[in-house]
Amino acid sequence: MDETDLLVGLLRHYSPTGQENQAVTYLVQKMDEAGFQSFVDATGNAVGILGDGPNEIVLLGHIDTVPGEIPVHIEGDLLYGRGAVDAKGPLACFTTAASRVGARPGWRIIVVGALAEESDSRGAKGVLNEYHPRFAIIGEPSGWDHITLGYKGSAWIRYRIEKPMYHTASGKQTACESAVQFWNSLVRKTNEWNESASRVFDQVTPSLQAMHSTRDGFAETAELEINVRLPPAISPENLKQEIEWLRGEGTIDFSDSIPAYRGEKNSALVRAFLQAIRAEEGTPAFSLKTGTADLNLVAPVWRCPCVAYGPGDSSLDHTPGEHISLTEYRQSIQVLTKVLDILTQISP
Amino acid sequence: MTTAYCPECDAPISLEDVMIGEILVCPDCGVDLEVLSIDPPQVELAPMEEEDWGE
Repeated sequence: MDETDLLVGLLRHYSPTGQENQAVTYLVQKMDEAGFQSFVDATGNAVGILGDGPNEIVLLGHIDTVPGEIPVHIEGDLLYGRGAVDAKGPLACFTTAASRVGARPGWRIIVVGALAEESDSRGAKGVLNEYHPRFAIIGEPSGWDHITLGYKGSAWIRYRIEKPMYHTASGKQTACESAVQFWNSLVRKTNEWNESASRVFDQVTPSLQAMHSTRDGFAETAELEINVRLPPAISPENLKQEIEWLRGEGTIDFSDSIPAYRGEKNSALVRAFLQAIRAEEGTPAFSLKTGTADLNLVAPVWRCPCVAYGPGDSSLDHTPGEHISLTEYRQSIQVLTKVLDILTQISP
Repeated sequence: MTTAYCPECDAPISLEDVMIGEILVCPDCGVDLEVLSIDPPQVELAPMEEEDWGE
């Protein structure tokens, strides 16, 4: 399996969320050629399995991208294309490293190219109960010498208030004013929580995403859509309880939420990464991400050592100039190959 | 006894029953230390935790 051909091929199969089919078919075919037992699972994910046995290592990447096709081309060491870092680079790294390690007695190495990570994560949800890994690695750009230990959580809040209309000279608070008051109270509350949190990873960070208001002559409504990024110390349930008293006459609907996740440093998985990065003459570092990923979803269910890893600079995620260094891509394959080699020598 | 020394405060660190890559806490100064080697005994300041945007 030529690692550059694989990644270029994946990038040429443009696959924004909802249009992943051709990229899935391509990856399944390439994994089949490389000796994987490969198939499209019931959810539509590309899956390739090497080996057999009671111990599983799941390498969960995602094959969808955000929309916005970027012509695939190489300039010197840089490969351009939508998904080069988020996250076809990591997925191609997983596939290549697994194929180099091959089948190992007692172990199943499972590579998943999951659907829809950029929307509802239905690809990752589809494999939650299919596998019971001893170790799991999620494919996201960390940089070849970094290991991502955690991501913040996220909660979507819809605040809505409806009031009868009053004359503008009445002095009564309008629905819009009540909505603004709610937002200001939420910001004050989060500032209180954040007083002792110096790192953004440990802070509660609200973001006002949309505002709507209507009036029909008899009543007026105001709505706010708010995203709140959550640290490990505040669960979505904690947030809900803490802000309930801020809503006044309005209603709060929690439409979608996921808690933060932060993995342990002292695990066989992290030790394997530290050794492998140093073996490639790198200086390892840990990353804590202020976004959210499939790691948040699978780690609490699988309850095994989990990290996110993959080549690429995540500041290029979702940008029009998305690209990856081919040198770094190859370094990450070397690291992951060694990690898998170390892990599969642990006694089953 | 296998003993390394904290690079930050020179405190003795026992490397009995530890693994390469394990993160230890220096009992004197509290820094995180990574075990690089057991024979010869060697520890180094553990990798830094960095913050980064990304999802």
